[in-house]
Amino acid sequence: MKEETNLQLKRTPLYPLHKKNYAKMVIFFNWEMPIEYEGILREAKNTRTHCTLFDVSHMGKIEIKGKKSLKFIQYLTTNNIERIKAFSLQYNLFINEEATIIDDFMIYKLEDGFLCVVNASNKDKVFRWLNSNKIDGVEIEDKSDDMALLSLQGPHSEAVIKKISSINVKRLKYMHFIYSKIDGVRCIISRSGYTGEDGFELYCSSKDAFNLWELITNGGKEYFLSFGGLGARDILRIEAGYPLYGHEINESINPIEASLRWVVKEREKDFMGREKILKIMNSFLSKKRIGFIMEDKGIARQDYCIYSKDKKNIGKVTSGTYSPNLNKFIGMGYIDGSYSDKQVYIEIRKKLYRAKIESFPFINIRTR
Amino acid sequence: MADIKFTKTHEWVKIENSIAIVGITDYAQSELGDIVFVELPSLGNKIAKNMPCATVESTKAASEVYAPLSGEVIEINSELNNNPQLINESPYDKGWLFKIKIANREEISQLMDKDIYKEFVEKESR
Repeated sequence: MKEETNLQLKRTPLYPLHKKNYAKMVIFFNWEMPIEYEGILREAKNTRTHCTLFDVSHMGKIEIKGKKSLKFIQYLTTNNIERIKAFSLQYNLFINEEATIIDDFMIYKLEDGFLCVVNASNKDKVFRWLNSNKIDGVEIEDKSDDMALLSLQGPHSEAVIKKISSINVKRLKYMHFIYSKIDGVRCIISRSGYTGEDGFELYCSSKDAFNLWELITNGGKEYFLSFGGLGARDILRIEAGYPLYGHEINESINPIEASLRWVVKEREKDFMGREKILKIMNSFLSKKRIGFIMEDKGIARQDYCIYSKDKKNIGKVTSGTYSPNLNKFIGMGYIDGSYSDKQVYIEIRKKLYRAKIESFPFINIRTR
Repeated sequence: MADIKFTKTHEWVKIENSIAIVGITDYAQSELGDIVFVELPSLGNKIAKNMPCATVESTKAASEVYAPLSGEVIEINSELNNNPQLINESPYDKGWLFKIKIANREEISQLMDKDIYKEFVEKESR
């Protein structure tokens, strides 16, 4: 299938505010998004010391409703939907018969159905995938353009939410959400995020996004709130060891190789790709996702080769960055499943740089 | 800044007698964003005009620095090893990269003056 080459760039409802705040914009899968405002490193640091507000309205939001929706989603995902308690959310994966990953996403159990928050890059694909597997008694609706998503992340986030809303924020536990109103703006306040810090993700109608952004910004002033772009978001998720679709995971990777074994509940339910998963679990793992810290200074970027202690090519880098919070160069990649040493080398501009394999996360996760 | 010359690849050169001080321009650092790592040439290296001789890495990308003039590397800014962000903060002063002993003075005339470089950047960023 050929894609249109002259695609119209998409903008979130907050685009004018980003321009006003001198954001540098970047094209991210057809979306014109802020990559940074005052500097990626400063934003990534401020998220772990104070708090940062991100516009992530580009994320895909797909609602699944109807009396068969539980059965339907249960069959297409690896995690157990029945484990999602009322007013909570779950990390989950769509996989195919071959057990490779179609997308990773967050699923919310709403009053009358489910909300899947999927990667912007995969939204159309997931929407088609769901529709091609649709059963009677299920309605699937793409709400992406109707809803804005603001992400407030960092240790001061709780204080900011407490200041601007009347919710009992202490009682809202991580990976839970409530329906609320902030100064007249109806929203879902979800205690969750993609940074490894405490934080909140707020969903509201696109037409209210501007108001909600300003409310959080004003409320956050005394808590040293900064704005964050996709650049800081990427550093933060790498520091936390979280995979990103298109880097660590894609349709040639299965959840076991991706170190996402914990998201697969093959003992609790049947699902598409389960047989293949069982086979994979019973056989030798050909590759595995690992994290590493550079011992020699240098950024290991995507597709750079990873070498063993005895300098054999054993894999590739999928993400790499400088971590301002650790003051270290860190990254992730895939290596041979049988490699057990901690010492590796990364080839950067035809030279080998020493790196050490480290377990995830690189930072202390402070979600509660 | 009158004695500073520029290249199309966004390096600047300050010429002091037989010595050229080399850095990257303010436009280059702002396009790159936060610089986190610099790989400088070794002392004594003989570098040829237009050859890649250093690497500046930002959070976004790795970028080659091309020699604006031919010559021998006689000094490097080792401060940058610990504080590469000096290039962001002070691209024309504290963020200099290396000094070379100029091998061929005729090459100097091929560099751009400030006004021409300014025009060049305006065209490129359009």
